[in-house]
Amino acid sequence: MTRNRLFTITLVGIAALFFPMIFQDSYTRHLAILALIFAVIVSNWDLSLGFAGLFNFGHTTFFGVGVYTAAILAKTFEVNPWLAMIAGGLSAAVVAVIIAAPVAKLKGIYVVLVTFAFSQLALQLVLSQGQITGGAEGMVRIPSLRIGDYNFARDFKLGYYYTALGLTAISTTFLLLVARSPFGKSLRAVRDNEDYATARGISVARQRILVLVVSAIFTGIAGGFYAVYLRVASPEVFGFATLSLALSMVLIGGTGTIIGPIFAALVLTFVSEGMAGIRGFEEARFIVIAVTMIAILRIAPGGAIDLMSKAVSIGRPPPTDLKSKNT
Amino acid sequence: MMDTVIATLISGLLLGSLYAMMASGLSLVWTTLGVFNFSHGALMMLGAFVAWTVGEGAGLGVWIGSFSGIAAAMVAGVIIEYFLVRPFYGSRNMLLVTVMTTLAAMIIIEKGAQIIWGSRLKQSPRLFEGDISIGGAIISRQEAFIIVLAPLVLFAIWRFATVTATGRSLRAVGQNQDAAALIGINVNRAFSIAFALSAGLAGLTGVLLGSIRFITPSLGAEPLTKAMIVVIFGGLGSMGATAGAAYVIGFLEAFLILWLGLYWTPFILFVVMITVLILRPNGLFGRK
Repeated sequence: MTRNRLFTITLVGIAALFFPMIFQDSYTRHLAILALIFAVIVSNWDLSLGFAGLFNFGHTTFFGVGVYTAAILAKTFEVNPWLAMIAGGLSAAVVAVIIAAPVAKLKGIYVVLVTFAFSQLALQLVLSQGQITGGAEGMVRIPSLRIGDYNFARDFKLGYYYTALGLTAISTTFLLLVARSPFGKSLRAVRDNEDYATARGISVARQRILVLVVSAIFTGIAGGFYAVYLRVASPEVFGFATLSLALSMVLIGGTGTIIGPIFAALVLTFVSEGMAGIRGFEEARFIVIAVTMIAILRIAPGGAIDLMSKAVSIGRPPPTDLKSKNT
Repeated sequence: MMDTVIATLISGLLLGSLYAMMASGLSLVWTTLGVFNFSHGALMMLGAFVAWTVGEGAGLGVWIGSFSGIAAAMVAGVIIEYFLVRPFYGSRNMLLVTVMTTLAAMIIIEKGAQIIWGSRLKQSPRLFEGDISIGGAIISRQEAFIIVLAPLVLFAIWRFATVTATGRSLRAVGQNQDAAALIGINVNRAFSIAFALSAGLAGLTGVLLGSIRFITPSLGAEPLTKAMIVVIFGGLGSMGATAGAAYVIGFLEAFLILWLGLYWTPFILFVVMITVLILRPNGLFGRK
């Protein structure tokens, strides 16, 4: 990691810490909390989609599983919401193992189809098991997070904001460590040259299972947090809208970068929710996001981050490592 | 008892017919271009809405409406191919990128339809009114028409692909683009034709479905999922295998609904699909 990037991240971290001091109304903080939840979802998705090159299109299933696990445990079984939230991560990991079993051996388009069909199946299950999940209406009045007598929704959601921030920080650190570890390198090897990776003794199937499980953990916890924060669980979390919004964040942020999708999530959540407030734009905002997604794929396949760093580097000498390679 | 079995068989035949027309459109684009078109279900929904608007809204009648619906889907298909698929030819991640762009197209069409037509339920008039009785089971003439039409359409496409020069050029392009270009086949034109034909099939399915179910902006979502299960089950390689798998899934679904009810059927279908994939990663009828 370059010093420049470290500096940027530190700066953003400090800004995030003081964010609630500047924005004291609960709506802005609500958007910030949603943005942080999406940041966790999409950065974890980037690990399997961007880093490992696995055509996983069911990532939001892990999120939905987390949402419903936490909702059912906290409400029906009256488990402590904190534990229910963590349990969301565990059950998402278990679901990841189940989905990884067929995916590990499949190729290309079949991976897309199976992971996608799996998310539809999860939706069907939630809808059909109405007595457990509340069916199409979903679940309401899920217990909220509290420590002692302090409810986290008090003081304009201050507690929730910092919990979301902490979750994002832990998840991101974890992802960056994974990405730099030998395991992360082996994932990139599998993505860039599967045959060579296999020849060097990397089991493609095993790495695929592992990356799905690893990327499911924090996504599931984020789902659990979502349930105890909004206090509702609705089948929409498995739907196309959630999936496409998250996918556009990964793409616009730039795949295989971890940090890129996080920034895209922070920006796009505010943009998308902002557009939802404009009359007549409730549906049209999805079209805007879809068009942006296509534009990014055409103009800057590396994501908006790539585009920005290109713009910044115009007029500067090329990076030294490139030079040394040429000479 | 016999009545129930016959009714279930017919219901399976109907589902199989619809899935076969949906899935063979997907398979056609896949074998020619190597693109999986996620907007296929949305094209179907578009066909249904246009057929309703022209036939019912503008009062031009059900036949003109139906043909307009199919034509609209074909035009949309060609546009999608030109703007969202063609620019990515030869790029390293073409498969993944086109999945994403066609997914984006699906969102645009679906949300667009919601803005234009609203969420109110609509139903197209039927080409044929009334019911007929087959072995004690009563179905509408429209449903009988679909059951008869589907094999004819599939046969026509199969003949087109094997006999006509254009159809054979599509298959040549699917097998080897460079070699096809070398012997003078216009590859771009083949892509457009494949997409138009596939979208036309989607539009036709949509028009038919719109007359027996209610038309909503999400009309295409559930059939698309089923068509995916079909292509996973049958493999994407050949249209014959896809059509066969569609009927297998149709019958399986109809009998599962009879035995286990509507709720558990998707789950069992999925388990069957996963089992097939683990045992035969290229589909039940797939080779290689």
